[in-house]
Amino acid sequence: MRGKRVFTLGLVWVALSVMIAVFSLGGVAHAKKPIKIGSVYILSGFAATYGKFAQNGLKLAVEEINKAGGVLGRPLKVTFEDSRAKPPVALRAFRKLVYEEKVDALIGLDSSGVALSVVPVLKELKTPLIITHAATPDVTGKKCNRYAFRVSANLSQNVQVAARIAAKTGAKKWTTIGPDYAFGHQTWEYFQKYLKAIDPKTSFMTTTAFPKIATEDYTPYITTIMNAKPDGVIISLWSGDLINFIRQAKKLGFFKGNFKVLMTLGAATEVLYALKDQMPTGIWVGTRYWFMANNSSVNKRFVKAYKRKYHVYPSYNAQNAYAAAYVLKAAIEKAGKVDKEAIVKALEGLKIEVPVGKIKIRAGDHQALLDVSWGKTAADPKYPIRILKPIVTFKGSEITPKVSETGCKK
Amino acid sequence: MGGVFSKKRALALWAAGLFLVLGLPFIINTYMTLLMTEIMIMGIFALSFNLLFGYTGLLSFGHAAFFGIGGYITAFLMIHDFPSMPLAILVGSLVATLAAVVVGYFSVKLDEIYFAILTLGFGMMFYTLAHQWRSVTGGSDGLTGLVLPSLGAGFLSVNISTPKSFYYVVACLFVFTVAILLRIVRSSFGLVLMSIRENKERTAFTGIDIRAYRLASFVISGLFAGMAGGLFAIFDRMASPSMLHWTASAEPVLMTVLGGAHVFLGPVVGAVIFFLVEYMITKFTDIWMIFLGAILIPLVIFFPEGVLGTILAKWGKKQHIKGEEGARGEHS
Amino acid sequence: MNFLNGVSLGMLLFLISIGLTIIFGVLGVLNFAHGSLYMLGAYFCFQAVSLYQNFWVAMILSPFIVAVVGGIIEMSLLRPVYGRDVSFQLLLTFGVLLVLDDAVRLIWGSGYHIVDPPEALNGIVHVYGFTYPVYSLFILFIGPLIGLGLWGFFRLTLWGKKIRAASMDREMAAGVGINVNRLFTGVFMFGAWLAGIGGTLAAPLRAIGPSMGEKIIIESFIVVVIGGLGSFPGAFVGAMVLGVINAYGAQYLPKATMALPYILLAIILLTKPRGLLSREA
Repeated sequence: MRGKRVFTLGLVWVALSVMIAVFSLGGVAHAKKPIKIGSVYILSGFAATYGKFAQNGLKLAVEEINKAGGVLGRPLKVTFEDSRAKPPVALRAFRKLVYEEKVDALIGLDSSGVALSVVPVLKELKTPLIITHAATPDVTGKKCNRYAFRVSANLSQNVQVAARIAAKTGAKKWTTIGPDYAFGHQTWEYFQKYLKAIDPKTSFMTTTAFPKIATEDYTPYITTIMNAKPDGVIISLWSGDLINFIRQAKKLGFFKGNFKVLMTLGAATEVLYALKDQMPTGIWVGTRYWFMANNSSVNKRFVKAYKRKYHVYPSYNAQNAYAAAYVLKAAIEKAGKVDKEAIVKALEGLKIEVPVGKIKIRAGDHQALLDVSWGKTAADPKYPIRILKPIVTFKGSEITPKVSETGCKK
Repeated sequence: MGGVFSKKRALALWAAGLFLVLGLPFIINTYMTLLMTEIMIMGIFALSFNLLFGYTGLLSFGHAAFFGIGGYITAFLMIHDFPSMPLAILVGSLVATLAAVVVGYFSVKLDEIYFAILTLGFGMMFYTLAHQWRSVTGGSDGLTGLVLPSLGAGFLSVNISTPKSFYYVVACLFVFTVAILLRIVRSSFGLVLMSIRENKERTAFTGIDIRAYRLASFVISGLFAGMAGGLFAIFDRMASPSMLHWTASAEPVLMTVLGGAHVFLGPVVGAVIFFLVEYMITKFTDIWMIFLGAILIPLVIFFPEGVLGTILAKWGKKQHIKGEEGARGEHS
Repeated sequence: MNFLNGVSLGMLLFLISIGLTIIFGVLGVLNFAHGSLYMLGAYFCFQAVSLYQNFWVAMILSPFIVAVVGGIIEMSLLRPVYGRDVSFQLLLTFGVLLVLDDAVRLIWGSGYHIVDPPEALNGIVHVYGFTYPVYSLFILFIGPLIGLGLWGFFRLTLWGKKIRAASMDREMAAGVGINVNRLFTGVFMFGAWLAGIGGTLAAPLRAIGPSMGEKIIIESFIVVVIGGLGSFPGAFVGAMVLGVINAYGAQYLPKATMALPYILLAIILLTKPRGLLSREA
């Protein structure tokens, strides 16, 4: 009897140890072990299309790269998580990707609010993050850190262009409609700073509108701003919010008012495709990439491949994510190995040509130096969406604040 | 609430549980350690909620207010270089307790549905405060950039920001909470609460001040909810308005109902079920709340005592029968 | 213009809240899932418009389907728990909320959908010197129309009287021979039908998304409590108050607007808990 018990106990002990060993060791090591990328975007709610388009761009890039032999002979593999535009959810996703999936690098983030919360935690996660959309200047400024990089145009670059265009319109009294979080408030803050510097005669009203993210009914805000009789309005709403706003504003005669309208993210194809010809024409809109803004072979190839695979023109979310994959590839190849610290080092100062143009990732603040285009919306029978005509492009070196001005101290 | 097990067995089970809690991080991976930490924090929150719900019979749909207040105060202090983390959590809990006194004072005047709706309203008031007061609370972006200091001094200092060490910090407070709340519900105070839950009028006839007892329960509940909130803010390295939204208040309610409102550890079991279901289902799809709802509905209809409650009840019946059939000696 | 906005916002809220308050008045259940039924109305409207290209077809079909869903919910899930503690009913309907809110994501995806108003109502008019969408005016008219119809129904028809009787005294109503089970199912379906109408009408006004239900349920609770749980005209008053507060608040008190409904809620609950216009039983 005793022997039997000891035997069973021993068997259970062995089984348990084997199970623990298998779980902790993970899979069997492969020569062609994939390089893992963790990607967090907004995949549900008001900005779901942004996340979707970014996914599309990233998937296209990974497909192309893997077809061409991968990076250092290894294929890329991406795991996507939904941040739902909520910082705690995004943090949980990051932790899952780093600790459980054991990714080698992170790509992502739409929301500036999310970025502000999770970027500081990168120091604990010790994994590089390439931001492709979240635009708050702080993550490459006041809150910059070793592991956060950005390949997309940030708020200070985009608003600098907005201010220049605003100055040219001649409107003097400005107000804003923006989402009630970091991005909306910072857009207004930087716009005032930059426009005042270009044209001291401009003034900024105290009546502004900052509706909550994912507001359903913009009508009270629309009427408030119209009643305030501004000369110009800068709008920083984006994605689903912008679509909603434009539909409701059009009905209330907003775009026939006596004021100029600027939309910092109005040229997102997500918005243009959703609105089709409900999108007003003659409005100055900004973007982080416009598929018709440059004729380089890199861009032409990207637009063609994207359109063939997804049947729509690529938005800036798609381009930025696509570019991020190539940037990561270049960094890993420059470093010669898939090691997080080496990747960080290799990203600093990296120069690469992507569809938006030739970009350089500054070593000082990890922000990409790139050209930014704005344009006036116009109808064109050759295209199913509003296109931009004319297009104005500003050089990155002209519109990007110096590293010393950003407040970044690494 | 005599317990289904004999005193010796019960003690052995508690000891085994303690051993499990303390030993877990050594056999699970980092992400699971983080998950277990979160489960314990929410377990504290749910236990505090259940003092009010399961024991006093008051359904609060705004409990996240105290959770969030504790979280915001703690986060605010830590971000502004407050020297001591334990003290920050304490201050957070105390402010939450104060809020509980105010909210509780008004709320315990009402019953049932009206109590639930009023607490929901107060909870949302705090939510709007956090959301709108940008200059202090960071508005919809919340308070971010929390960095964990080391605890202790000199060669005894421990870096508590690693998942494992923070797990132990939380585990200590979890065990502490369980011990205190257990003591409270098993005391005469707890008995009065339960009799208020069972029959308000009759209890009032014995001369007991119903409102005072309810308020006391509310306040104690708020204190521990605030502590859980403080821990959560540190865990997430941030405080955000979603901590105060009514959907956050719904979580301890769900967990308690899942595990069983009339068993002390029910809310904890409910928290475990909640997070494990989420973990397992989110491996395949993002759409996991539907499963939670699908579990909740039959539970409410057929097993209102929750998972743990129903298991213990069945076990109790078996034991009872065994006890009657068998020899005397072991009393259940 | 603000006032018009407030009133038309209020109309939608009114339609949803009547259903909620009737269900509470008769069944004694506070239906947490009512916002989700409204949301279903909007989604079904979108689906119907995509299939039939006709908004008016959707107007008829969509609320009907929501009513059917409501009937299924009431018969299979609510009936077993009628005798129980109020908290259990609340929890049960909360479970239904969780299921419905995720179900729409499963079926229609997690993003937003857009429905355009019907051709006839898609224009704008110029009223008192400002522009106003025709569709919103349509809502302004149809709201009171439905309200009047309901009022007539409750006052003048036999079924209406039965429902009012049952809401005042369930046992007596059963004693008098009213089939309470069928009545309850009917009332719940009716409430769901109203919520469906609310959703269908709201669909062209705002983007349709999975969080629609969550957002409106709290507002409906507030409306119903302010007006008085179970009170029909109360729902109207409450909805108007809330609509106007929201509209004017955005202009004059932008920071505090968010909190006003809850403050109002607390004041009412603590001073006149039965609501402004409740009928004391």
